[in-house]
Amino acid sequence: MTVTEPHIEEAKKDITFRVFRFNPQIDSKPYYDDYTIQVERGITVLRSLNYIKEHLDATVSFRAFCQAGICGSCAMRVNGLSKLACTTQVWEVLEKCREPNVIKVEPLRNLPLVKDLIVDMDPLVDKMKHYSNWVESTMPEEKMGKKEFLISEEEFLKYDKATDCILCASCVSECSILRANSEYVSPAVLLKSYRMNSDSRDAIHDVRLAELVKDHGVWDCTHCYRCQETCVKSIPIMDAIHGIREDAIERRGMKDTSGSKHAEAFMSDIEKKGKLVEATLPIRTNGMAWTLKNLLPMAMKMIVKRRTPPPPPLVKPTKGIRVFRSMFREMSEHVREDHKSHNK
Amino acid sequence: MKRYAYYLSCINESMTKEVDRSIDLWQKDLGIELVKMHESTCCGGSNLDYVSPKHFALVNARNIAIAEKMGQDLVVSCNTCLMTIRSAKKKLDETPELKKEVNDILKKEGLEYRGTSDVRHLLWVLVDDVGIDAIKEKVKVPLTNYRIAPFYGCHILRPSKVLGHDNPVEPSSLDQLIEALGGKTIPYEHKNRCCGFHTLLVAEEESLNVAAEALEEAIREKADFIVTPCPLCHTVLDGYQAKALKQAGDEKNSIPVFHLSEMVGLALGYTAKQLGIKRHIVT
Repeated sequence: MTVTEPHIEEAKKDITFRVFRFNPQIDSKPYYDDYTIQVERGITVLRSLNYIKEHLDATVSFRAFCQAGICGSCAMRVNGLSKLACTTQVWEVLEKCREPNVIKVEPLRNLPLVKDLIVDMDPLVDKMKHYSNWVESTMPEEKMGKKEFLISEEEFLKYDKATDCILCASCVSECSILRANSEYVSPAVLLKSYRMNSDSRDAIHDVRLAELVKDHGVWDCTHCYRCQETCVKSIPIMDAIHGIREDAIERRGMKDTSGSKHAEAFMSDIEKKGKLVEATLPIRTNGMAWTLKNLLPMAMKMIVKRRTPPPPPLVKPTKGIRVFRSMFREMSEHVREDHKSHNK
Repeated sequence: MKRYAYYLSCINESMTKEVDRSIDLWQKDLGIELVKMHESTCCGGSNLDYVSPKHFALVNARNIAIAEKMGQDLVVSCNTCLMTIRSAKKKLDETPELKKEVNDILKKEGLEYRGTSDVRHLLWVLVDDVGIDAIKEKVKVPLTNYRIAPFYGCHILRPSKVLGHDNPVEPSSLDQLIEALGGKTIPYEHKNRCCGFHTLLVAEEESLNVAAEALEEAIREKADFIVTPCPLCHTVLDGYQAKALKQAGDEKNSIPVFHLSEMVGLALGYTAKQLGIKRHIVT
């Protein structure tokens, strides 16, 4: 009888890489090719793909460069999830295999396919340009290069994490709304806009913000947190999205867009009743005409099923609302004080 | 009988009353008592946190403080309330100066946020506290012949740093519950995806596209029904179902969507009428 140490038993395995293949110039539809190779523990998905390309099939196409999680070129979907092939070890993803030891490798979603695992990043670049995601300097041209342009550490901490973004587009690939509409701004672009809008050296904050609150902009995010969850640099992307919204409400007021009106309804209802008055939420968000046009047929169905939310007078305030309201208003005082000292 | 402080979600008080109604039917059968927190307020529904981060901290510190005063964990049956209140808790626990500021105000009501009560979803209570084996023993009408699509929804999984119960990629608690009740879970790609609820009034077309994909997969996989632990997901998947499928070009198919609490109720022997299932738009 031979005894095999478990760690030796597991040190090498035959793994099948089921690779998405599609060359739009030749193929009528996509297909998958299986490549089975022996992989040692510790080997990454990218090393495996390189091996396949060098030894088994030179026609498999993918993008890669630094092999160290820095350049962001090799983002792809491994067993369904968008990540960097170069920082993903084969052993890490074995548990997620539908078929034992078969790893599915597919291109990122939500970007046009070029070939096999390569997607076209141009739509993302175009959106970065559309929202002017660079520092448009407040320093006059003639002073450039002659004077240091310092920012405080406190300011930098606000967008330190956002600067970690390597534009790999994993978040773009996972975004629920982008999947529903390719015109949506996308999480990576919002993250970058937040970073630029928080930079005191930047001169076009208001212009950028005005663009961000338009259709397909910051208010269309549906808070699914898939971007943040998949981020290869663990950047809290939703904090940036919420940061833009907070800024939009503070600077442009709440009466501006349906997104901000919708958000404001929560604040005012909680202060008044301690709970949400759902019946009038669509009207307060989009106006009466929109509500009648879009929601009337459904409202009829809901009436039949007796599941319409109660009209405002029938929404009973929460127990102890008076004390609650006074506390809520006391906090409003604090917020006003904060704004005053912030603006000084 | 294990007791919990039960948080009243706005939507369960208005559009999805069947959730609390069905829980009231069976909670004692499973040896738990959910004591309703009538003084609690709206959590801010994943919106107040950016409209006013400080009010967000205050109202949810208060919500948790009420549960702490009752000496119990706070239990919710809405994903977004879960995520929102847990986010506030995390922020309060990590920011002593915010906690102090909030507690100075809460004194007015004789409340203090200490951070002693956990904030949990009813699904977690069922799986972890009541336990799969105990639930199996109580089943009267096993869901043997049903193929069930488990739709977890976002805010019971993500952000995982706030939620931390299930693996956000391969969640399992709802699958375990379905199997304990005798049902069969189907492989369902959309189990951890989004329903589109939070943009329904702001970007309706996009939201309905998101919902349609989840519905279409369940229909394609021949599920008998979808089950969800979130009344917001239910509102989209049931209430907006016809509109979403029509937008996706499907005017023929439909699929029932059950609340977690109704599915449990069915297996414990309660009727569709008792559980309020007839109030759904798709029946």
